Amino acid sequence: MILTEAQNDSLAEFINIAFGRTGAALSELTGHRVMLNPPAVSVHPTGDLNGALAKFVPGDVTSIHQVFVGPIAGDALLLLNHDGAVHLADLLTDGSTPSKYLDESAREVLTEVGNILLNACLGMFGNMLDIHVSFSVPRLHIESLDELIESLITEKNSLHYALVIYTAFQIRDSAVNGYLVMVLSVASLDRLIMEVEAWEERQGQ
Amino acid sequence: MTKKRPNQEALVNAAVLRWMHDLSPQGILMTDAELRILGWNQWLEDHTGKSASEVAGQNLLSAFPELVERGLHRYYEWALEGQVRILSQRLHGRLLEMYVPGKENTQVQMQQSVRISPLYQQDRVIGTITIIEDVTERVKREAELQAEIEARSLLLASEKSARQEAEKANRLKDDFLATISHELRSPLTAMLGWASILLTRELDRETTTKAIETIHRNAQAQHQLISDLLDVSRIISGKLRLNVQLIELPPIIEAAMDSVRPAAAAKNIKLESSIGAEANKIYGDADRLQQVIWNLLTNAIKFTPKEGSVRVQAEKMGSGDLELTVVDTGSGISKEFLPYVFDRFRQGDAGTTKLHGGLGLGLSIVRQLIELHGGTVRVESEGEGKGATFIVSLPVAPVIANKDDFESAEVSRDEGTSELRTILEGSRVLIVDDEQDTRELVKAILEHTGFEVITSSSAAEALVALEKFRPHALVCDVGMPGEDGYTLISRVRVLPPERGGQTPAVALTSYVRGVDRQRALNSGFQAHLAKPVDSGELISVLTHLMKNTGIENRFSAP
Repeated sequence: MILTEAQNDSLAEFINIAFGRTGAALSELTGHRVMLNPPAVSVHPTGDLNGALAKFVPGDVTSIHQVFVGPIAGDALLLLNHDGAVHLADLLTDGSTPSKYLDESAREVLTEVGNILLNACLGMFGNMLDIHVSFSVPRLHIESLDELIESLITEKNSLHYALVIYTAFQIRDSAVNGYLVMVLSVASLDRLIMEVEAWEERQGQ
Repeated sequence: MTKKRPNQEALVNAAVLRWMHDLSPQGILMTDAELRILGWNQWLEDHTGKSASEVAGQNLLSAFPELVERGLHRYYEWALEGQVRILSQRLHGRLLEMYVPGKENTQVQMQQSVRISPLYQQDRVIGTITIIEDVTERVKREAELQAEIEARSLLLASEKSARQEAEKANRLKDDFLATISHELRSPLTAMLGWASILLTRELDRETTTKAIETIHRNAQAQHQLISDLLDVSRIISGKLRLNVQLIELPPIIEAAMDSVRPAAAAKNIKLESSIGAEANKIYGDADRLQQVIWNLLTNAIKFTPKEGSVRVQAEKMGSGDLELTVVDTGSGISKEFLPYVFDRFRQGDAGTTKLHGGLGLGLSIVRQLIELHGGTVRVESEGEGKGATFIVSLPVAPVIANKDDFESAEVSRDEGTSELRTILEGSRVLIVDDEQDTRELVKAILEHTGFEVITSSSAAEALVALEKFRPHALVCDVGMPGEDGYTLISRVRVLPPERGGQTPAVALTSYVRGVDRQRALNSGFQAHLAKPVDSGELISVLTHLMKNTGIENRFSAP
């Protein structure tokens, strides 16, 4: 399924707005001033995900993963590379010396931030599109990109798409790049696009 | 499904709830959809001090208003909307205020990891469940691990840097060896070349003279090089000996200046000296001090361009030290290089080595020799092109002109001169030290003050000398090989008074900690002085000791 240019644009604009508000939510909840860079949006069949992300995560990828169900359903993930994960955890901690690895407390902080980000973003979708989803418990995993993608494709026969949103967290004069990935079935992606187009129309009125 | 089944399931469920209440190792808090507290397990009772009956039925946010103050009520609102929320210890610290035992009977705040989840019945959220985990220990361990890692990486960095320093020093040595090779060979080439010509050819008078002068000059240069090398080698192996006497400074300065006059004249450099009236006598090795001044002058002349000036100054300072200064108007020393000026093998840069020749040992030898005298040397320079000033600082013993001339003598501290004469006349001091230089230096100082001095180089010798010469006081080095000062004094103190057992003794030691002082005093010494010995202090201490023990109160006259 290929999106038309118009659809791509609508999706991008919609996500841009959602992100703006998500940044605010992140700031409030973490107690640190967080800004999210304007997102770059693309849609890929899950088979192509490896190609799209491999350069960003050559080593192990740290992911915070939540399953969501509702009128649109799928997996939502925050993806960070190793350095980004360590750096983000440091920025959220008030320590002075940089860490070299993720200890349990660091992993916990990342899980919370991932949780906030994913909930805020998808919640924003819910608010703007009037679609309500509910989430599973967030989990943090550290594994290779291949292993991650493998774990996402539950039914090998059905086609799934990944909505890939590339952004960066700006905290305390530092930027950490990350990906927000939503893996959706064709039906869910269809529904999402439909709702976004309807939203756009409402905006125009 | 038989009737029994639902009961069985219900029984198990009820048992689980009871377990969660009584035995769960974490805090479990359950509320309904209005946030009224329905479940408050034993763990929470134990750690908050509030019983379940106290809190049951109360609104969570009313029972714990600080949750609202801290904005955490919104987490419960989201939970009621169906969202699972995590409160990490790093960002929030805790949900509820609880304490755990800390070090030495203190109480510390419990660090908590918290998860708040909605409770569902089919699609409806009917309440919330909060799980609280005590992670105080984990946080502490993480901090310790982090500190350990940092310490290790600092250690690694410092070892790496030490290794780099060592490698650098090695490279300098290698460069040095290459330079020596070259420097020793060059004069030889000239000497052999000209000698060969003289042997095989008939030369006119002028050329012959020139040949002989060249050979002579190169031989001298090589002689100097080898001399310097030998000095450095002796200094490194600790075998350099000083011949310490009371000497006059002006002739030494003159002699050094004389030997560099030709070199200064060749570059039209003005050579001057200015010697203060008080800067006359000093304790030291005349030859070595001349070598020092010569080295400083040669260095100054080497780096001063034509028409420049070099001046030698000697002044007695208020502190009693003597300062010898060599000032030049030469190429100066850059700030980066200043700390390395006196290092072995170092010259301003490889380029100037080629320009000025030599091995770069002169200044390092100067420093070593001055330090052996108990003094210091430093250099000051405003920078490149702004000249340099080398300052040598030497300690000077209090000067007593003549044993017969006590009236005009400068005596340190509070001794009256006539008292001093009474005390000093005929008083004998035994010096015990394995190091010849120290023995000779102390002997020189004390003899000039008017004592009669006997020296021994070991404990065994000292005991013999004690009986033979019956000294009035002992000055003893503590750190001797074999039997040390402590052993010696204990062997002395067991002797009966008529054999010298009560002889007052001063310990001289390089160890200056309080415990060493105490040990000296406990072992049987009356006083303890640090090396390098301050002559004024030593004299003062000895005279006090002798006065106090009463010189008449000696063991039987020899």
